[in-house]
Amino acid sequence: MTSNLSKTQIDKLGDRLRKGDITEADLRMLDEYRLLFSDAYEYVVETIRNRLGVEPTGRPAKSTGAIREKLKRETIRLSQIQDIAGCRLVVEGIVEQEQLVDDLRSVFDDATLVDRREQPSYGYRAVHMVVVRDNKVVEIQVRTALQHLWAEWSEKLSDIIDPGIKYGVGNEKLLQLLFRGSRLVASAESLEMRVADDERRGVRFVTLAEGRRISVEEWKKNQTEIKKELLQFLLDVIEESPSLTGAYNAVSHRIQSTSRRNR
Amino acid sequence: MLFLIEYNRHRGEIVNLRTFADSERRTAESSRLTLELELNRQAIEHEVVLLEAIDEAALRRTHRRYFETLGDLARAS
Repeated sequence: MTSNLSKTQIDKLGDRLRKGDITEADLRMLDEYRLLFSDAYEYVVETIRNRLGVEPTGRPAKSTGAIREKLKRETIRLSQIQDIAGCRLVVEGIVEQEQLVDDLRSVFDDATLVDRREQPSYGYRAVHMVVVRDNKVVEIQVRTALQHLWAEWSEKLSDIIDPGIKYGVGNEKLLQLLFRGSRLVASAESLEMRVADDERRGVRFVTLAEGRRISVEEWKKNQTEIKKELLQFLLDVIEESPSLTGAYNAVSHRIQSTSRRNR
Repeated sequence: MLFLIEYNRHRGEIVNLRTFADSERRTAESSRLTLELELNRQAIEHEVVLLEAIDEAALRRTHRRYFETLGDLARAS
């Protein structure tokens, strides 16, 4: 896919998107720009399918709304946005995530790894890989089931309550719940990783922080139970989270619907 | 398969979902632009996104926010 769009034109388009008043010509130009990523996107998705035998869910082009929000939120130019095209893979646990990331690195050996488990973005944890193909960037998201549940929760709250929530802005109770949930997922997955490491190294007994010495089998059983309890905790707080917002929810909704453009 | 989603973020609901075969990629992309232009003309701020998955079940697993309420998220994990 080729285009005559210059970098200056793309970034000026980004400035107009940031300001908000989008013309039909702007939408057509944005579409042309997004289509430039098609070949790189198809290469990445096909490579994952054919070389690794897994099926990603792909997003060939970021939505206009999401691009506008990113431009408004960050001091970034349109030509610098790294996730115009991307795909997502969700695996069971952190051991499978590590394995898949290793596999992805073996097929995309010059990809850049962005480990958001080490440096979460407002509680969002996952592994992202950035692949560059013919000067076009494609982002691969790899999430565990728990990281994914947390991310979907955060996204949904951002949709229906306050778009700022996934960027750490908004109802304090909800933000606290999200951060706590994220930290618990991190702790549980760290434990899962340590158990798997010891199992792989053939360790037979471990001494717990409380001083008790147990077999690795028992340790693994405990860890699996903790993960189930954490999942139940997350499900409970997800169900309760809208009620925590109370009046805030109603007022916020009114403001949002009243803020829509009128012509 | 390709899925063209029109999503009302404030309500957290899908307004319209269209599916396309893999061979209809260009048609799907063109439909995305047509929909965006139409919504822009009507000043309707819905999210329009084109996604690709092996089937709808896979899409529903990886992009649950489009299909589920918070209650659904809490129940269906």
